[in-house]
Amino acid sequence: MGGKDLTIEICGMSGDGTIAAGQLLNAALVNAGYSLLAFDSYPAEIRGFGRCVTHSRVGSGKMIALKNKAHVLISLDDQESVSRIPFLDTDAVVLFDNKPMAFLAENQSIAAHVEPEAKLIGVPFGDLSAGATGSRQGRNLVALGAFAGLFGVLPEFFNKAIEKKFSSKGKPVVDSNLACFQVGYQHVLEFYKEDISGDLGEASVHENKDSFLISGNEAIAMGALDANVHFYFGYPITPATPVMEILAEKLPKRGGKVMQMEDEIASIGAVIGSFFAGKRAMTATSGPGFALMTELIAHATVTETPAVIVNAQRGGPGTGLPTKTEQSDLQVAVYGGPGDSARIVWAPTDVQECYEFTLRSFQIAEKYQTPVILLTDFFLHNRVESLEKLSSAAEMISDGNLYPAEEKINAYKRYEITETGISPRALPGSEGFIFSATGLEHTEKGRPDYSSAIHMQMSEKRHRKIRGALSDLPPPVEYAPKGQLDLGIIAWGSTFGAALEAVTQEQEQGKRIGALKITSIFPFHEEVISAFMTKCREVLIPELNFEGQLANLIGHLHGKKVKRLNQVTGTPLTPWDIGEAIHSILKVLD
Amino acid sequence: MKTSGSIIAEKIRKTGKSGELSIRSENLPTWCPGCGYFGIHQGMNQAIQNLKIPHHEIVMVSGIGCAGRYPFFVNTYGFHSAHGRTLPVATGIKMANPKLTVFAVGGDGDGLGIGGGHLPHMARKDINVNYILFDNSIYGLTKGQPSPTSMVGFKTKASPYGNEPAPLNGTLMALAYGASFVARLFAGDAKGIAAVLEQAIQHPGFSFLHIYSSCVTFDKQYKTWDFLNKNVHPTADGYDTSNHKDAINGVLEDDYTTGIIYWKKNA
Repeated sequence: MGGKDLTIEICGMSGDGTIAAGQLLNAALVNAGYSLLAFDSYPAEIRGFGRCVTHSRVGSGKMIALKNKAHVLISLDDQESVSRIPFLDTDAVVLFDNKPMAFLAENQSIAAHVEPEAKLIGVPFGDLSAGATGSRQGRNLVALGAFAGLFGVLPEFFNKAIEKKFSSKGKPVVDSNLACFQVGYQHVLEFYKEDISGDLGEASVHENKDSFLISGNEAIAMGALDANVHFYFGYPITPATPVMEILAEKLPKRGGKVMQMEDEIASIGAVIGSFFAGKRAMTATSGPGFALMTELIAHATVTETPAVIVNAQRGGPGTGLPTKTEQSDLQVAVYGGPGDSARIVWAPTDVQECYEFTLRSFQIAEKYQTPVILLTDFFLHNRVESLEKLSSAAEMISDGNLYPAEEKINAYKRYEITETGISPRALPGSEGFIFSATGLEHTEKGRPDYSSAIHMQMSEKRHRKIRGALSDLPPPVEYAPKGQLDLGIIAWGSTFGAALEAVTQEQEQGKRIGALKITSIFPFHEEVISAFMTKCREVLIPELNFEGQLANLIGHLHGKKVKRLNQVTGTPLTPWDIGEAIHSILKVLD
Repeated sequence: MKTSGSIIAEKIRKTGKSGELSIRSENLPTWCPGCGYFGIHQGMNQAIQNLKIPHHEIVMVSGIGCAGRYPFFVNTYGFHSAHGRTLPVATGIKMANPKLTVFAVGGDGDGLGIGGGHLPHMARKDINVNYILFDNSIYGLTKGQPSPTSMVGFKTKASPYGNEPAPLNGTLMALAYGASFVARLFAGDAKGIAAVLEQAIQHPGFSFLHIYSSCVTFDKQYKTWDFLNKNVHPTADGYDTSNHKDAINGVLEDDYTTGIIYWKKNA
């Protein structure tokens, strides 16, 4: 690769301005033209006394995963930052306040805890802030200035970010932040001249001048807006709430509306009602809310009514770990609800796909007259990536509904069995096509009917219809050399990035290894997946759930048992984690 | 000279041509003979025909229970939803196409039990949906269990020693939730239902119609036609429908007054 690849962590206690510093760092580095992937972790409780850690991976090539080690640690609170030491790379740079306000025993400074190879850069954040503005509050900005000085990031990129972030708070606030940054920057130029690496200073790298930062939450909201969604009916739940809040502000400007409902059941009910009457609507929730929705989701597969639901998976089960990431709702998304209720489930692997899949979900839901579930996760929703553009083609967002032909007036069969399984759908208000939708099994005309023949026929029709969606859903993508492979890694959701990076590293070492990206969870492309598995001596499926839910869904397509890497730490799998599993499998094969 | 048979035949032809019965679908109701729902059905049909609402611009959203079958018996669009979820679905439909006249119909279990959590929010948002609660104080479709409005002591297979919890008062709940149109009616008075329903449909907000009915098949002892006929009576002459406090007090004192109980007419 030969490009830059730096992971920077900022660690502090709530109140230290850690998160704000992380945001400024990310914005500045994107202004400078670098590619970026960043993810914060913070306390679950509102009255947060808790550790905040921002984690930014920056470089020249597209970042698709987080590493498990950091190259730079900026400590805004040494007591908290000590917890990050095990995650530091050898030769890491540690930036810390060497003149903290409270008297600290020597061994409480982070300087006493880091490994000998680490490079310690002590800068009096608090004192410098006080000197520049009269208050120690700007310590986080001083630290950023010091960072910029050490790594050669031109101040103009930070200044631009600072002005943008604080402009709404007035000129004095902007100025004091700029001053704090400046004073930290100057301090390093003066006292740490030999330690300046300039690693992030090259102007020639900056091809991506137009790239912008966007989170998964924002991408999903934008995808919905660009698909002309009319209504969002939802209920607050971590980590899906920001989607509702972004749309609450933006939808009314487009003639739409966000209606907060009393619970998730009301939310999905209203989404279904809206689509039934012809207007696009959506909801976003997480595990506990999704579980409540399963009855109506299954019901919608029988009434054959479209719906769009985002399930932002978090730690489970039950109330689980609200601010941690997991991938443990695949099974409930595919099967949840009474009976054999096939529906469409797909899972983006990065922020770009969060946008694209949300955008396309509405047309697909209309075309196949079914709930479409977008399986995302906490990591995707809260991470930011630098992207170059988001674009939508008209054919992805056009009306997907199939309306009945004029000839069917007064002879309309709402659930007519057709070759595709898709029955033309009349909207309420259309004269001559009156029908009732029912969750009971029914005839082609929609009259409740429990006879054996009808149930067999209608079940077959509905399942055939969903299988037909394969042609509209993205097939699995292979990242492998031609020919037989020793090992194939199949991954989904946000885990895929880590899998691909691990596989690429092994490929560079000459290993016969490949990766398969699966985004269409149900229906899934059996033949493509089987073909890939046939080439592999062994198949490994890494995922963030306890038993291996994707493995359970597709594992039978392999001639032998698939290997599983199941992790439920609440944190994303890293390329290193997957690499370790790859090594142990390859060792046995040799 | 016309025979009585030909007179009747002509009447039938005339009625058919008039379109009076066009509101009825080709499906015969599956309710038991004597069920109060026939009366409600008649009242509903009358109101729709009187207001001349185009049938294809009406959506009936129903829940689960005997009342849930309602959409199949009328010649309008219908949505037979999940138990207790008529109000959210009706909300989505009305918001998506405000030109539609949307009814939510369901029983007392559907509306005050499993669906009870949706009623307050419908009322406070004042969504223009007409909610008809068919209250026969029993779960009839599942063959006779007590419902949220059953009397204490009501004996069923599920309550062989007598129902224990006290009954909820649906009309009082709607008033307490701030519904802008609250009526309480009797299934034995189809004309009365039609008259109030016409007002409710034209009311540009949430209308709640609590209709007392009887389940002749599974309740032969408590809420019988006899009992209801003896007890229901219209609100007094000069009753002021605009006084919310009096409406609540009135309902606290008397469970069987019928008519429009409260109507908040917006300026």
